[in-house]
Amino acid sequence: MPIVKIISENKIIEENVAENTNLVVQAGIKKFPYPYLKYKCGMGTCGTCSSLIINSQKHLPDPTWKEVKVLKEKIQLGYRLLCQFRISHDIEIKQD
Amino acid sequence: MEKLLDQDTFRKALEDAIKGKSANQAPFSKAWATGKLQKKHFARWAENHYHYVGPFADYLGYVYSNMPEQFTDAKDFLLQNMYEEEIGGDRHTDLLIRFAEACGTTRERIKNPDNMSPTTRGLQAWCYNIAMRENPIVAVAGLVVGLESQVPSIYRKQTPVLREKYGFSEEEVEFFDLHIVSDEIHGERGFQIVLEHANTLELQSKCLKICEIGAEMRLLYTTALFNDYVKNDLSLEELETAA
Repeated sequence: MPIVKIISENKIIEENVAENTNLVVQAGIKKFPYPYLKYKCGMGTCGTCSSLIINSQKHLPDPTWKEVKVLKEKIQLGYRLLCQFRISHDIEIKQD
Repeated sequence: MEKLLDQDTFRKALEDAIKGKSANQAPFSKAWATGKLQKKHFARWAENHYHYVGPFADYLGYVYSNMPEQFTDAKDFLLQNMYEEEIGGDRHTDLLIRFAEACGTTRERIKNPDNMSPTTRGLQAWCYNIAMRENPIVAVAGLVVGLESQVPSIYRKQTPVLREKYGFSEEEVEFFDLHIVSDEIHGERGFQIVLEHANTLELQSKCLKICEIGAEMRLLYTTALFNDYVKNDLSLEELETAA
């Protein structure tokens, strides 16, 4: 089971999630990373779930067209929209 | 059902009630998943689907108004679901219209209720009916668990073929992609609410029955789409051979 570490507002929270998990879906159904994860529309439009991926980029699928549209040059800095992919490996993320 | 079920058993019973009547079994769904439909069939689907899902926030609005004040979590869920359908990002029906226009129909045709089949009208009326008149927990079971929670599994089968066989762009199929995420949230939250609040034998029995009926209604609607719009172009025998 992947370990998810979230750095948010100077807090570090860490917990296991099931394989093939979408973190926004998890938060939406009130399971970890709820209530620490910021998200809103769940459809790759608002950008609220935008997060810096500190490690594990290589295990993630390529950014979707929505991420390219919303994040623009921030993709090169390591940002992703958490609503747009599922995770199967440990991941560490930071939300502004 | 003779005694109150524990939450795990009740959840399994709800899932089984839906599974037996899943719309994935309908010929229209099978034809879609195997790439046997033509773009004109998708256009007719969209002209109908708009009138079923378009008022979803309206249905939930009635349930919200009936939900007891102290069920704060359930009320918040309904409000959030309505918000996401309409104004959280792009309006979901606008994305449906975008797909439909790519299939050759128009916004005017889609919005015109004269273009839905009698069966779609029946499904829409059933949704309004249970939203307005049923116990709100039973209505959540019917609308969210029975209908909305089926969507991710349906669209997971139907979306890849839209890109791969028909060459629709990512923007054109966004309606399907977003529902895989949002309906996964809504369906699961619906389960949580029903499991928590259906705490009498009578309520559990009613929730199970309405889930079964909801799944039947969606299966009926999807079956009618095949009969009304596809069967002259594709016989059931051809479909079975392809599947």
